Parts: sequence; structure tokens; C-alpha cells
Amino acid sequence: MNEDVIVTEGVEKTYEDSGVPVPAVRGIDYRLARGEFTAIIGPSGSGKTTFLNLIAGLDTPTSGKVWLSGRCISDMSGRDLSDFRRDNIGFIFQAYNLLPVLTVEENVEYIMLLQGVPKPERHERVMDILEKVGLAGYRDRRPLRLSGGQQQRVAVARAMVSNPSLVIADEPTANLDSQTSGELLDMMRRLNEETGMTFLFSTHDEIVMERARKVVVLRDGRIDGNADPEDFQ
Amino acid sequence: MFLRMLKFSWRSIWRNARRTVITGLAVGFGLASLLFTEALMQGMTVHMIGATTNPWMGDVQIHRRGFLDTRQLGLTVERPDAVLELLSQDTTIAAYTPRVLSPASLSSARELKPVTLTGVDMSTDPDVTLLESAVETGSYFTGDSMEMVLGYRLASDLKVELGDVLVVTAARTDSGLASSMFLLSGICNFGNEQLDRYSAFVNIGSARDLLQLGDAFHEIAIVLPDAHMAGDTSLALWDRYTDRENIAEGWTELAPQISSMLDLVNVSMVIMSAILFGLVIFGIVNSLFMSVYERMFELGIMKAVGTRPGTIGYMVIMEAFWLGVISTATGLAIGLLIIWITSGTGISFGEIEFSGITLSRPIFPELSPGRAWAYPVFTLLLTTLAGIFPGIHAARQNPAESMRRSL
Repeated sequence: MNEDVIVTEGVEKTYEDSGVPVPAVRGIDYRLARGEFTAIIGPSGSGKTTFLNLIAGLDTPTSGKVWLSGRCISDMSGRDLSDFRRDNIGFIFQAYNLLPVLTVEENVEYIMLLQGVPKPERHERVMDILEKVGLAGYRDRRPLRLSGGQQQRVAVARAMVSNPSLVIADEPTANLDSQTSGELLDMMRRLNEETGMTFLFSTHDEIVMERARKVVVLRDGRIDGNADPEDFQ
Repeated sequence: MFLRMLKFSWRSIWRNARRTVITGLAVGFGLASLLFTEALMQGMTVHMIGATTNPWMGDVQIHRRGFLDTRQLGLTVERPDAVLELLSQDTTIAAYTPRVLSPASLSSARELKPVTLTGVDMSTDPDVTLLESAVETGSYFTGDSMEMVLGYRLASDLKVELGDVLVVTAARTDSGLASSMFLLSGICNFGNEQLDRYSAFVNIGSARDLLQLGDAFHEIAIVLPDAHMAGDTSLALWDRYTDRENIAEGWTELAPQISSMLDLVNVSMVIMSAILFGLVIFGIVNSLFMSVYERMFELGIMKAVGTRPGTIGYMVIMEAFWLGVISTATGLAIGLLIIWITSGTGISFGEIEFSGITLSRPIFPELSPGRAWAYPVFTLLLTTLAGIFPGIHAARQNPAESMRRSL
């Protein structure tokens, strides 16, 4: 249970703005144990999203290494990285998470379609996860006909349906009201406890912070210690 | 997976229905105009070949070698009886007629004009030429040795009317001069300057008597089942009627200016197609790039959740394919409808003269099945291929960068 899902060693990311180097992440060493429900917090520009992107293999570090489920993803090719993300990471973004041309069911089964899961199994798993997120009756709807909270629930279902080792959520409550945010987080926490799946958030939202088991503070591209979730309650 | 992606890409192009419709119509109208132009050119080609061969020339002519260059009276077709016998048994030809041709002067009471005296075999000529139907005043030959038919322009130049006396003076084979008197029995209108102004038609027997040719003749005009066969060098008839003395030539060689003009039309169509297809490619590429840039965040998410770069590119190419299907269907529907309507009514160009041929009758657009398929298939292929560039662009985007730039 205490096996590390994420290990980073000296991860740095520097962007260039008109030829001027702008460091976003400055040599972070970090470990995240399996089954955790952790939030990364910090002010705007602290490097939260960049750090999450590096962990998820959506961006490549300028230097340093990232291991995910025991595999170093920093040197993977684009195709291998795509396959690795597909099989190991679930994503929830702050908005426009879903593909608008697909129905709820198609959005949720999309990753399994990429994985080549047979149709009957896809259907069964989609119905099971939609049941868990409380949207079983919405499977034929397009995302634009759902509320913001419902859309994020579908995103959670999509992120979890293929049983990834890690779910990364970048500001998942940014566009939701506090009641919907609370319900969404409670649901995710419940799923975390039921499945043992690891969740890693980046957030400004105290509702996320108070429900996290661990809170990591990021400042100026560096980890600036841990905060106590109870401080936010 | 393939069918799912095809379905998703179909839905994707309808996210911005207005742009898809505008692109479809733009490319569709381009294809329709190309189909219609091709049909019009084919109709004009048929018309011009017909206007060249039907009135007088025929599809193929047999001459003694050197006759067309020199017009020497003595260069008559060798072994005329044997050639006519061979023609009478030839099932690959539709009709034929022998002719006598000689330069002559034609005088009326008031004018004198140089003409080509043309001896016509009235028993076979109507199957080969339009002389009989071109007679507008008076009548076609009845067999009277004094009959003469003139074009309306020549009759006007000579200031003669039906029944007037005309005198032909021509050189005989023995170099002496011969004259004969004829009566104007018919005035014709071919819509062709050469025939209407410079030809005098008489019975072949009268011409032979005047020129002392016996049973000889200078030319055999042949009609084939299809005028386009005259361009087929593999036909047996070329060898059959060409030997050391005689030569058989098709209308493409007899009227090289028409043949060249038709080549020019084909080249024009190729240039026009290239321009139009170039515009089609730019239109589709532009539309797809707009679509890709609008969906940058979404494509970033697709990549983030594990869609391979190749699959993203493939999906954009499928969208191009669907745009091609819509455009091609639109173009085919509009193009074929216009062609169908105009092929019934014809398109009149008034009395415009083109390459020496008066387009006095309407042009009826027609589209050969080969071309009817070639342009749409090419449009579909090109629009699909046009998706490769935006597809590669979409596939190469870094997912984190795509999502950052879109927010």
C-alpha cells in the first residue's frame, strides 16, 4: 500500500519568453504513495500545473527524471508516452473536459476504445462507473446538455473507468459552485476509499484542500513544505 | 475503432455547420463548374467535329498520294474499281462516296469567280454529306447533266438566281481547256465559308465528261460509325486503303487546325482543373486548420488521455474525407443538374465563328461516363489528401502546450 506511484528527482522546467528563460519548476524531489488523496496548492504562477504536466508526461522536464508506477517516463517517445498515459493515468481538467461530439457513454468509454477493450466489457464498465457517479440515466446525452457539476462527474468516470494507477485533477472545481464542488470531492474521496486509486490535485480551492489527506505547498517552482488539511476546515 | 473514428470525425465537421456548408458549397460549385465546362467542351468538340466532317469532309478520305498538295487533275485514285469494290464489302464503315475535284473558273453573265468544281455521285453522296439537306432554294440533283448547285455566298457573288446560266472553264487532263454550260438548280447553305463561297457542285458524270476523266475520281469520302474512330491508328482500314499509290487519312490529318484546336481545349481543361483543384486544396486546408485551432484544447485533452499522435492526425484526415464527400456530392448534384437541363435545351452561341466553323446551331453539353467519374473521384482524393498537412500539424502539438494556449 505504501509503494510510491510517483517519484520525481530534481525535476526542472524552464520556458523561454522572448528568449528570456523563465523557470517554472526548480528541481523538485517528490514521492506520492499509492492510494493517496493529495492536493498541491500554491499561488498562481507557483508551478502547480507545470509540475502536474511533468508528472503526467504531458510535458518533458528540462532536467531531472519522473517515475510513474516504477517506470521512468521522462525518456519515453511520444507514442509510448501516449500509450502509457492511456493505461496508467486518468485526467480531470478544470473545464471543457469532455469531447462535445461524443455522448456521455462515448466519452467514458473513449479510453477503453483506445485500449481495444471489447464492446460488451466496455458497456458493462461504463454503466458501472456511471452508476457510481450518479449519471446512469444520462448516458446518451451530449456534454453541452449537462450542468458543470455533471460534466465533471463524467470526467471523473472517464478518468477512473480504465482503473489507472493515478488520477490527476488540475483545478477540478474551478468552475463549480461550492455545493457542487463539495459533492464532487466527496464522491471522489469515496471512490478513492473504495478503489484505492491514487488522486493528485492541483487547486486553489479550500473545499479540495479540506478533503485532501495531504496538502503539498508549492511556491516559486519549489515544494515549500506540507500543510495540514484540518487547517482548512 | 476505424468506424468509431469515422463516426466521430463526421460529427466533428458538423460542430461548425455553417463552415462545413460554406466549404462544401465552395468546393461543390468548383466541381460543378468543372463538370459543366467539361461537358460544354465535349459538346463543342462533338459539334465541331460534326461541323467539320458531316457537311462534306467525311471522317476519312482516300486520295492518290500527292493530290491534296498539288491538286493535279491527273492524280486520280489508283485502281478505282478495286477500291470501290473493297469499300462496298467493308463492314467497318458506314458509308462512302467518290468525288471529282478540279480548280475551275465559273462565270455568270456579270461576274467571274475561281471555284473548286466538285463532281458529286448523287446516289451515294446523301449518305455521306449534308449537301442535299443544305439546299435551301431549288433542289438537289435529279440526274440532269446540266444541274449545278452553288453555295449562297457564291451565288450572291456571281449575282445569279435559280435557272440562270453558268459557264465552267477548266483545264483537261491533256492540258487543253474545256468549257461547259450549266443551269443553277439549287442554292445551298452549309454555314462554312469554303463550301458556300468557293465550291460549285455538279453531277459526277458531267464533271468527268468535262475533264475527260473516264471513270476516274479524285477522292472518296468515308463515314465511320463514330467520328472519334478516325483518331484510332490501330484500325485495319488505314492499311487496307493505304498503299504505294493511294493514301487514307482521317479528319484529324485532313483538318489539323480542328485537331489542334481540340488539343488546345484539352490543355485548357487540364490548366483549369489544376487551378480549381489548387483552390480546393487551399480551401480544405484552410477550413481544417481553422477547425484544428478552434479545438486545440480538446485535441490536447484527447492526447492527454492517451490518443496517439497518429490517431489525431488520422482523425483530421477523416474530417477532410467527409468534407470531400459532402463537397463531391454537392458538386455532382449541381453539376449534373445543370448539364441535364442544358443538354436538353442546348446553349446557343448565335452565329459565332470558331476555327473557321460557324457555331450556328446550339451546343448540347454532354459528359462521358469516364470524365463524370474522374473529376468527383479526383476531388474526393484531393480533399482527403489536403487533410494530411493539418493532420500532421494537429498530431505534432504538445498536449500541455495545446491546453495552455487555448485557455
